[in-house]
Amino acid sequence: MNKIDTNHEPVIESGKSVWLKYLGGMALAFLPLMLLIEDPHWLNIIAFTYLMAGLASSWNIIGGFGGQFSLGHGVFFGIGAYMTAKLYITLGWSPWGIMLMAAALAALVSVLISWPTFRLRGPFFAIATLAFNEVAFVIANHFDSVTGGPRGLMIPFKAGFQNMIFKERWQYALLMFAFVALVIAISIGVRRSRLGYYLLAVREDEDSARASGIHVLQVKLQGMALSAALTAIGGTLFTMYLRFIDPPTLFNLQEVGVKFALLSLIGGVGTIAGPLLGAALIVPFENFLRAELANALPGVNLAVLGLLMVLAALFMKRGIVGAYEDLMKHWRHKKGQS
Amino acid sequence: MSTPLLEVTNVSKHFLGLKAVDGVSLSVQKGEIVSIIGPNGAGKTTFFNLLTGQLEPTAGEVKLRGQVINRLAPHDRARQGMGRTFQIAKPLIALNALENVMIGAFMRHSSMSVATDKAMTVLERVGLAHLARRRAGDLTLSERRRLEVARAMALEPEIVLLDEVMAGLNQSEVGNAIELLQGLHADGLTFLIIEHNLKVVRAFSERVVVLDRGRWIGEGTADEILTSPAVIKAYLGEGHMGGQSKQTTEVNA
Repeated sequence: MNKIDTNHEPVIESGKSVWLKYLGGMALAFLPLMLLIEDPHWLNIIAFTYLMAGLASSWNIIGGFGGQFSLGHGVFFGIGAYMTAKLYITLGWSPWGIMLMAAALAALVSVLISWPTFRLRGPFFAIATLAFNEVAFVIANHFDSVTGGPRGLMIPFKAGFQNMIFKERWQYALLMFAFVALVIAISIGVRRSRLGYYLLAVREDEDSARASGIHVLQVKLQGMALSAALTAIGGTLFTMYLRFIDPPTLFNLQEVGVKFALLSLIGGVGTIAGPLLGAALIVPFENFLRAELANALPGVNLAVLGLLMVLAALFMKRGIVGAYEDLMKHWRHKKGQS
Repeated sequence: MSTPLLEVTNVSKHFLGLKAVDGVSLSVQKGEIVSIIGPNGAGKTTFFNLLTGQLEPTAGEVKLRGQVINRLAPHDRARQGMGRTFQIAKPLIALNALENVMIGAFMRHSSMSVATDKAMTVLERVGLAHLARRRAGDLTLSERRRLEVARAMALEPEIVLLDEVMAGLNQSEVGNAIELLQGLHADGLTFLIIEHNLKVVRAFSERVVVLDRGRWIGEGTADEILTSPAVIKAYLGEGHMGGQSKQTTEVNA
């Protein structure tokens, strides 16, 4: 009788071990907030890192698990942001409730715009989503009465939990942490569910997926709707933290649409930990570069960041998580030989 | 005679001026093993793609258990009990062998634990249980071919379409693969096979259909077909017809 192959890590882990890892990972991610709770500068960076980690993880559901390289997630981010700002300012509704409505609207919009674009594959799909981002930018600039146009929308400071406006920065950081914890828990749930397996199958080979009875378009739409809904929630949190939004902030590809994908790619696209690691590395590093280099030579911070990203793309094609896995595989192989 | 499990009537596929498949008819009874042979470019894989819904026929009708399935999408045909493998094995390389098969098993079993058990049973059946946790990308070609069969089997199909499932395998691997398929056939599975290896065709098929340049040119038992002048002409060309003896054909087979 053949022995079970033990040379490879089991891909399906038991539920208990996965959730224990999750708790351990989130405890580790919480540590900087605990340690730097007195430092407002670092709290700001930490809050943004959590937010970007949550947004990159949201993108990862369709971009990583499903392999649909969307660069148009700024649209869903914008829906969350504008809906929150407008309804809060004009009707005085609580952002907590608006957040859920924005998530539902973003899911609906994602289905409507993805239906035709999911017929495209690879780079053609990415380009189409890029176009949606640009269209959203033009619309936001044009519809002054709703979006405030180029002047943007300003949210008055009125502290209170009901308003999602806090006096202390650590409270925002905690809120962002809750967001990333939620998105990662959902990601784990999806990855271990039938939908998660179907998304992976679609990413790997659509013909094979169809031959296995998978309705490819339906699976993509489900993944996109979930991803869009979570991205819109991130939009709400962003708005209530900054209390000012305008089109260049929300639809800036470098800071939003492409950024979500980039953080996932650097950390390890399609993995649970990847987007979190990508954000933990890039967001503080970007801040550091901006603070240290931007004044000395404007633009050099972006050049350094760009160079690093090129190097990562060349030498760590599967991101930090992939590089770690390769290292472990190599180590196990060596151990097996000795 | 009972309703054929699969019935194809005058199916054609034209790509602009090219008649890739031209008016082919075929029927497969439940429990049969039917092979499709033909030289390169005969339209065999295109014909398979018409049956599984990857391509839409220009004309003709495809029936499964007497029901016309022309308008069904590939995933619906899979759900109806039509499994398939691909000419170039397409395992989901980032997943392990067990997960690859689970994806098929989910079609019949929504529970994760039931689908896992079912996938494991199928892997045992095809002799891959010991590699269940190995990534599909790390499997050998022979193992990948088995995995393709396992994935199709997990759908609990009535008929499986195998597209050159022996291609690239060495002699002993081919022997093992034939043994596996014969076992699955004994379990009641129906097979429609595209195969270039004529030894396999002879060892395995109950009936052989020959295609050439998209057209049906003959049908019969393996022995009848492999000695048919029309088939020899299709494979070897006009010039070989005169001196072609039965013995030469036997060697080729």
